[in-house]
Amino acid sequence: MAFAADRGVRLAAPVALVLVAGCVVPLAVLFVYSFFKVDFVAIVHDPTVKNYVRVAASATYRGLIGRAILSGAIVAVISAVIAYPVAWAIAKRVYLLKSAYLTLLLIPLYTGDLVRIFAWRVVLGSEGVINSFLMWTGIVHEPIRALLFSPFATHVVLTYDYLPFMVMGLWLAFESLDDRLLEAARDLGAGEVTIFRRIVLPLTAPGLIAGAMMVFVLVVGDYLTPQLIGGSSGITVISAINDLFGTAFDWPLGSAIASSLLIILGLLVTLAALVVARSTWGRSVVSGE
Amino acid sequence: MNVGRADTDGPRAVVLLEALGLAKSYGPVAAVQGVDFRLPVNAYVTLLGPSGCGKTSILRMIGGFETPSAGSLRLDGADLAGVGPAERPVNTVFQSYALFPHMTVADNVAFGLEVKGRDRNETKIRTARALALVRMTDMADRRPNQLSGGQQQRVALARAIVNEPRLLLLDEPLSALDRRMRKDMQIELKDLQRRLGLTFVHVTHDQEEAFALSDHLIVMNAGRIEQQGTPEEIYRRPATTFVADFIGGANLFPGQILATSDGAATIATAFGPVTAASVSGLSVGSTAALCLRPELLTPQPDGPILSTVRHVVFQGADWLVEVEAAERTVTLRLESERGPEPGERLAIGFDAASAWITAGTIATEAGHGVRG
Amino acid sequence: MTFTLRRRELLKSVLAGAAFSAVGPLRPAQAAEAVSWLTWENLAKDDYLAALIEKGGISIEKSFIGTDDEQFAKLRAGGASSVDLITPGLDKVEYYVASNLLQPIDLAKVPNAAKLYDTFKATTLGKKDGKTYGIPFYWGINPVVYRADLMDAEPDWSVFFEGEKYKGKLAMRDYALEGIMIAALYLGIPKDKMFDLDDKQLAEVKKALIAQKKLLRTYWSSIGDLTNLFATGEVVCAFSWVPPYFDLTARGLKMGMAKPKAGVIGWCDTLAIPAGVSGAKLDATLKLVDYLLGPDYGKKLAYGGPYAQSTSSTRDALPAEQQEKIFIKDLSVMDSFVWKANPPRYTEWVALWNEVKAS
Repeated sequence: MAFAADRGVRLAAPVALVLVAGCVVPLAVLFVYSFFKVDFVAIVHDPTVKNYVRVAASATYRGLIGRAILSGAIVAVISAVIAYPVAWAIAKRVYLLKSAYLTLLLIPLYTGDLVRIFAWRVVLGSEGVINSFLMWTGIVHEPIRALLFSPFATHVVLTYDYLPFMVMGLWLAFESLDDRLLEAARDLGAGEVTIFRRIVLPLTAPGLIAGAMMVFVLVVGDYLTPQLIGGSSGITVISAINDLFGTAFDWPLGSAIASSLLIILGLLVTLAALVVARSTWGRSVVSGE
Repeated sequence: MNVGRADTDGPRAVVLLEALGLAKSYGPVAAVQGVDFRLPVNAYVTLLGPSGCGKTSILRMIGGFETPSAGSLRLDGADLAGVGPAERPVNTVFQSYALFPHMTVADNVAFGLEVKGRDRNETKIRTARALALVRMTDMADRRPNQLSGGQQQRVALARAIVNEPRLLLLDEPLSALDRRMRKDMQIELKDLQRRLGLTFVHVTHDQEEAFALSDHLIVMNAGRIEQQGTPEEIYRRPATTFVADFIGGANLFPGQILATSDGAATIATAFGPVTAASVSGLSVGSTAALCLRPELLTPQPDGPILSTVRHVVFQGADWLVEVEAAERTVTLRLESERGPEPGERLAIGFDAASAWITAGTIATEAGHGVRG
Repeated sequence: MTFTLRRRELLKSVLAGAAFSAVGPLRPAQAAEAVSWLTWENLAKDDYLAALIEKGGISIEKSFIGTDDEQFAKLRAGGASSVDLITPGLDKVEYYVASNLLQPIDLAKVPNAAKLYDTFKATTLGKKDGKTYGIPFYWGINPVVYRADLMDAEPDWSVFFEGEKYKGKLAMRDYALEGIMIAALYLGIPKDKMFDLDDKQLAEVKKALIAQKKLLRTYWSSIGDLTNLFATGEVVCAFSWVPPYFDLTARGLKMGMAKPKAGVIGWCDTLAIPAGVSGAKLDATLKLVDYLLGPDYGKKLAYGGPYAQSTSSTRDALPAEQQEKIFIKDLSVMDSFVWKANPPRYTEWVALWNEVKAS
């Protein structure tokens, strides 16, 4: 027993080391920097919470953090709505070529974000596919310019970009969902809506939450898509942090905003995990049937 | 080959469910090839057959999970076509129980009542009653994964009967249980059926289970009904060689019919002509089989069947002896102090009064070996 | 046939490259001093430097930078000891000086520095306490580029702030410093006060920039992206760099380039020597600096870049057409130059810029 435990520690050591070196240390450095201040190009190492006060006092930075979280939540919800039927169909209605469908689904991820963004420009632009078609049919006489360079466009592209993560999460959940449970519910008199709400949703919740977490975090961290698709309102908290680190040399303030964002994200993820763990169905779903 | 139709139920039976020409195909595969049956009220009905015989498809059509390719189902005289599973007064106990893993035992049982919008108080009372009926009151707050197989089985039963269906369908409900538990549950199921006065339709491939439970037995093979009736009728008077073989592993000796008379026939077997009771409808010259149950065969010095002992198995109450005779493997049950030795020569006789001649050819060498 | 030819050429250049990298650092065998130059890749092409190398006595080890910030970070992290010459932006020299990373340059040892255009001699940027730390090296302007086929008249800065005519068809670079400079130019704030905006002026700038945001299609952040936006007609006019004008003109679009009278934002990179360089190495480095400001290099850059040197070394040797291309035909353009500098309250500028974008 002692031997096994000892060996476990030794085997886990490299993993722990990589985690600490690759993950904890940079974050710790970031966090420490957030308590310094900057004097032109010199970092002054007197600890201060002034940076956090500035973040809290600034409607802009608060607003940007809030907007990032809202965007993450919106895209997570939209992609869940789209991904449910898709994941269900792949898991339950496709027998042949299942892996082909999944590969197809992942193709956008292989292309790289810039390629996807420029492809969407071709679709949504003033002289793009949709506008050209609408003008050709005569439905509109002027291109709908809000299709591109607008929050709408940003959310369309973000949803497209991160939908595969949601589908994968839900697909895995559906694969392990026993169809006989749905038959049993139907047998007991439940309608389709009730079945979804009381059986499918709780039993696919781990996949939904995993997918939503991934989509949420990826959306919050994506600044390229809003910058290149969102037009004049395409600013994100990430690009603001980038500005502070890059052109303004205000690493402490940048660190403070980044730390605030990380802390809020951490709290939200923890909260979600707690809700799952606390809820009665959460425990049984996680512990498995 | 539907010998012994539903009319064996007699006039006393009030028909609950009637199937007419019921058929189901999955693409080119015909799972059920047009069957007719009538199920009475307050009866324990078993659909018995080997896997792939179509019995589960029939159950699923009754439950509303599959749409018949042809034919009809009538419950209490009303056609079930187009009625979804949620609307049928029929509930199912699934093979794997299909308990909702994220709900407690009580929530599982209450589910059917809740989704039908029953009053909360009524739901509570009926749930408690159903749990009491299957002796699971103490487990009400547990989750399915905290229960044993037998307990899950009882919850699945409670979840179905709490809805007070007209018909309870059970799909291989005991197959996941160990042998002892299975015996106990058989008694409980039968008891429950009597107390509730419901009709149970139970699908199984286990003839022993079918005999233990059934009032009415339907034996199926390859998408058709081979025979239906009481267990005694089916055991003693198998209509086909399939039934004779499948039920209790009768020894079958093929031969041509030499003569027929009212309810009896003479068959030319490898060890000479035998006259015995027979199924009706046999014609002279047709191929049939003499059916001799293992327990009807006894060693007799002047017995007509000459055999060589192959295997001997001690079974406590008796010996199961496998011998080779007339180029066939034949099984005997012997109640004696000591069994024969393998290699020993044995002359076997039987009482023609208990023999039975059944219709049909024997598809394969009756290689069923030693069967319980 | 073509293939063999190509292959031969390829082999030749691969072999030459291998030989260069193998032999290059060994050149000191001929008593050549190796100078390590951290610079942009397009400024250190072999044929640009050939005239100097042929004279002997010096060899050049090149390493390349991706962004100005990266260069600064590299030096701050202790990279100064391995580099003899760097190429910071004129406005960035101040950062390096404040971090004690540079040494003053003895202009007496750089004869070509005498030919610097007046505007570069006069600028206070790159200097501290009267000493030069970064010698202006080459420069250009960031003009207004527009689709001449889609606009009626040559625009000036006001197009980005007023009127509805081109609403939703304009683009501005996503860069706080230039964004605010342009607003200041539009508001008529004098060039010498531009980097010391007071609260009232900052408030005015912010108001102007918020008005501007409503007119913009987008803020651009890569010049390739802006070129794309011009080409697809999403944007008809932008505060830009020069390349889209040439690229799209070459592709047959009717492009225009405006240099507003109120002021044009000029950019300039400098040559600067890290603090630790001394002795023979320093002499060789100064020789390289002088060469980079001289006519041989200047001519190559004028055609290859095309960029203008900060000295007049090669101007008169260029045909008028080429002069025009690099903005040195009519030298009066330099009168309207505004050089980027570091505003003391730059963090507030960045905050303001973010507030505008988030508004």
